[in-house]
Amino acid sequence: MDTPDETPAPAPGSRWAAVQPWITLACRLALAGILVYAAASKYPPALSVQAVEAYDLFPHELARLIGYTLPLFELALAVLLLVGLATRFTGAVTALLMVVFIAGILSAMARGLSIDCGCFGGGGAVDPGETTYGLSIARDIGFAALGAFIALWPRSPLALDRPLGLFR
Amino acid sequence: MGSEARKRARERLKEQRAKEKKAAARRKNLIVIGVAAAVIVLIVGIGYAVLNSDRGEGYTGPLAAQTLQEDGSVVMADDGVEAPVIEVYADYQCPACRQFELTNGDLLKERAAQGEAIVHFRPVSIFAQQQVPISGNSLRGGAAARIAADHGVFVEYNDLLFENQPTEGREGFSTDQLKEWFAGLETSPEQQERFDARLDEEAAVVTEFTEEFLPALTEDALQEIGQETLGTMVLTDLLTWGADNGHDPAFLDGTYTGELIDATGSAYTRYSGDNAFRGTPAVYLNGVLLDNNTAMTVRGLSEAIASASPGKVETQPLDNGGDAQ
Repeated sequence: MDTPDETPAPAPGSRWAAVQPWITLACRLALAGILVYAAASKYPPALSVQAVEAYDLFPHELARLIGYTLPLFELALAVLLLVGLATRFTGAVTALLMVVFIAGILSAMARGLSIDCGCFGGGGAVDPGETTYGLSIARDIGFAALGAFIALWPRSPLALDRPLGLFR
Repeated sequence: MGSEARKRARERLKEQRAKEKKAAARRKNLIVIGVAAAVIVLIVGIGYAVLNSDRGEGYTGPLAAQTLQEDGSVVMADDGVEAPVIEVYADYQCPACRQFELTNGDLLKERAAQGEAIVHFRPVSIFAQQQVPISGNSLRGGAAARIAADHGVFVEYNDLLFENQPTEGREGFSTDQLKEWFAGLETSPEQQERFDARLDEEAAVVTEFTEEFLPALTEDALQEIGQETLGTMVLTDLLTWGADNGHDPAFLDGTYTGELIDATGSAYTRYSGDNAFRGTPAVYLNGVLLDNNTAMTVRGLSEAIASASPGKVETQPLDNGGDAQ
């Protein structure tokens, strides 16, 4: 992660070298949009706290802290992705966040809870027949893949990293 | 110096330069990551401060008068106060209701004490038809709050129930706990005795209802009228159907458990359209349903109350309210 300039310089003129930065840019914008939407839909924080509490993993005070700060964290990652600062780091952290989300959903499944994941607002208990764990996990895997792509190929146009001399 | 040695020296120098270049790049990368991390901390920190800026200190002052109503609801307002009416429909097992209470419970107490709001607590049990223990917790909590209202300590007891809300799906609100919480309030031994006796009666009704009566009724109804129609029926409709089909709900008559179920049924029929009661918490200001951004934030609710005109309480006080003050 901390060896930016070792990204193997693709043979100049290759098709991949021309296309990859634009794919990365698309991933950055898509993931930023998803994160902004996820953060905004968790407002007001009181309901976000309730969604966290439904996982039954944390004491009340910690659940409250997570409920308030998680949407803000998502928002911050979105900002970094949009401006393209520390692109590889941000992509990796976002992918890691998705892995944490997936772990949370799997743990709810394993314990037989019937909850909404609260990924995009909502959250809390639902009827046992109305859980959508598979869909939520598949979605998060997709988001994690976007983050992983960004982390593996951080070179992209319209990024603050470039004037700073990273991932040119 | 031989050409071999010169070549080696040159290579060493080249290696050295490459190493330095790599170290510089790593340093630069770390600095940028540091800046990014700082951006994250800044956004989260400032956001957290902003979201919490409207959080009060917690209200510990005196409460406005509590008046028990005919339907078992409770109005918190001093005599003769003219102010906007806030109706709060809540289920004691509902986590979002707990969040509402934690977020705005103190604001409501304060506004009522200042004579700036009339707060109408309308406990319901939207979870009465869920599985045990969710249904039992919900009904037992509601019945206990109703008994507390008989003794003029509904608002205090309401707080305790939400503070100690069982995790959804876990056994909770045991009769021992419910009695203990009542004992922690300023009540007399004689009141405690009456509370305990009534609670035991209600708890037995709740157990019979959730573990025998309702499962049997639901099974019959499933066969007779089918899942589709049943899904659209509220509990009071199902009880009416049951009464005509061999499931006599008379054991609920005169109980606070039955009153709570009725109050819930009435909530579903009281409003219509966008204003309809769909779930809890439902917070109405002068009869108009508030959205989450208003009801679930201190700033939202506080501003809504401040800009509303005086309203009217729709229920009548219970005449023979005993020692409910």
